[in-house]
Amino acid sequence: MADAERIYEMMKKSIETYDSDAAVAAAEQAVAEGLDLVEAVEKGFANPIRELGEAFDRMEVFLPELTLGADAMKAGVAVLEKALNAQGGKLETKGIVVVGTVEGDIHDIGKSVVATLLQANGYQVYDLGVDVPSPRIIEAAESHNADIIAMSALLSTTMLYQRDVIELLKNKGVRDKYFVLVGGAPVTQAWADEIGADGFAHDAFEAVQLLDSVKEGWGK
Amino acid sequence: MRFQPTLKVLSDDQIYRIHQAALQMLMDPGVLVKSEEARRLLAQAGAEVDEKTMICRIPGYIVEECLRKAPSAFTVYARDCANDVHVSTTSVHIEPMIGRLNCYDHASRQALPTTLKDVGDLIRIADAMPNYHLLHSGAIMPQIDGIPIRATHAYGYLESVRNSTKPVKATSREKIMAEDCLRMVAVVAGGEAELRRRPCTFTTDNPVAPLHHDRDQMEGALLYASYGIPIDVTSEPQAGATSPVTIAGLLAQQTADVISGITIIQLANPGNPVWYGTCGSIMDMRVGRIAIGAIEMGLINVASAQIAHFYDVPCRGTASATDSKELDFQAGYEKTSVMTMAVLGGVNKIFYPGTMEGAMTVSKEGLVLDNEIAGAIYRVLEGIDVVDNTLGVQLAQKVGPGGHYLNQRHTMQFIRQEQFMPLLADRQIRERWEAAGQKNMVAKAHDTVVKILAEHQVDPLPEGTEEELKRIVREIEKREEKRS
Repeated sequence: MADAERIYEMMKKSIETYDSDAAVAAAEQAVAEGLDLVEAVEKGFANPIRELGEAFDRMEVFLPELTLGADAMKAGVAVLEKALNAQGGKLETKGIVVVGTVEGDIHDIGKSVVATLLQANGYQVYDLGVDVPSPRIIEAAESHNADIIAMSALLSTTMLYQRDVIELLKNKGVRDKYFVLVGGAPVTQAWADEIGADGFAHDAFEAVQLLDSVKEGWGK
Repeated sequence: MRFQPTLKVLSDDQIYRIHQAALQMLMDPGVLVKSEEARRLLAQAGAEVDEKTMICRIPGYIVEECLRKAPSAFTVYARDCANDVHVSTTSVHIEPMIGRLNCYDHASRQALPTTLKDVGDLIRIADAMPNYHLLHSGAIMPQIDGIPIRATHAYGYLESVRNSTKPVKATSREKIMAEDCLRMVAVVAGGEAELRRRPCTFTTDNPVAPLHHDRDQMEGALLYASYGIPIDVTSEPQAGATSPVTIAGLLAQQTADVISGITIIQLANPGNPVWYGTCGSIMDMRVGRIAIGAIEMGLINVASAQIAHFYDVPCRGTASATDSKELDFQAGYEKTSVMTMAVLGGVNKIFYPGTMEGAMTVSKEGLVLDNEIAGAIYRVLEGIDVVDNTLGVQLAQKVGPGGHYLNQRHTMQFIRQEQFMPLLADRQIRERWEAAGQKNMVAKAHDTVVKILAEHQVDPLPEGTEEELKRIVREIEKREEKRS
């Protein structure tokens, strides 16, 4: 499968040069040449983006590079996924995550990095954006059949809404369906414990590590 | 005439280009204004307002006319008029940070949740420090440990105003909090009429970079403007994250954020005192966090002062901050370098002394240490006086070759005005320093904190005022209990 290797190399290159157009072109070629699309996602896009993420963690590449690399990956994976779905196939996912910044809080960056890294690491991510009212987070989790609800808050005033969401989940009797992950500058493990969240992460890497490590515990 | 040291980082032509770029941004893409009242004011003045998207496109002539209405000098009143602060485009005043989520504990070297007692202590220390003029306060805190969260502003204001006679800041974060605070400030001022005549407070309005005026903040700010209270309109762009990564781009967008805010305030109350404010810095792209001790902040402070003065409006800057978790070499280096640039660059109000850890934490010892840095830099600002008497030709003739100046009246006469006397920096020989307990600056600052808290007296509020404020605080607490 020399052809496949060549196309994976193109995909890898598109991530390394943060080039969404090149990622799409490589993905289209993979489809045209009838490659194994699941393998193409893993070898062409997921591996290089994980490497990029690790380089970010080592402080060798910077946030814009990570973001643009992830954009290229998303563009390429979207092409592969569409073709895969048309063939009646489905992408493997470690878990389905809805992620958002809670009500009253418009801070976007940290939450988006978490969404990016989760996606890069094989999670199917629905990013609800910022200032998301508590009921909407739950509606989205229900409608996407999510495994994980991840909530960000940058302000000590808005982090109260993380508790709000958990209380709402309890009232609806669906608390046990989800692994609830909280984060944000003022958020601590103590706060996560206090409000009964399942997990807390300081940053996007910890979030990935944590979810990977508790995968068995999701109940689905 | 004394030559005043100054620092400039922009040419006149560069300032003008930044101004033009800001005006261009205010027309396209325009600015998001979530307050209905603010949009009404802008529409009335001739701006193009889309009620559906809340985007306002503000033509340059409206902005420039409003900037001309903003005063170049004004007074921030204090409850003791001896502490009134006369702000202008040439003055330099310092506002230490008081209310932060955490307060640094000297003994355990940990950042612990700030309590109401911490707020009172921090304010009392700032009251005692000669280089601090305008006081941030507990009213602006998001949370005080052990206090009902929705009554934080009321408890925080009371604990602050009873511990200082300097101007104490109040919050504009939400309209209802602004109303509560101004009700309390009116009691301190001696009634509603006195609040208008001598409003003994000031506030900050933070546009949200990029190009967004939040509803709650703006409604609060407009309430302050209805009393003619000074407002620093301060944008907090992070280069590469919430503004272009280039400093020129950051300055242009920050200017658009700030002058659109000033425009709205001037439309509401022509002549309302304002500062052009910056809390701009870079995002450290390796960690994805704002770097608040970054040297780029020095450049941004100086450039902001130049832009503010181009508009003939005083400038609020941000300096004496650090990303360090300790009061260590990093803290000293970051604080001093940015602070020196801000002062020499002509920033008129400098905010953030006392902070550490990216301003997540405030420190009592830090307030004392930063006061010393400020004192040293004020000395630099004094410059060098060059007149016959200071040149000392006659004196040199009198002392002659091989003599000394220790026994001269001239030396005694000038020593205090020529030399800054640090209280914390150690200049003793090693043996004396060892004998005195080998204390570094932080340890000495801690001794000062203990002494101030034991000895510093603050004039109490007038008879009956504190009781009335306490009654209002309880009323606010009850109201908020009901609401939740």
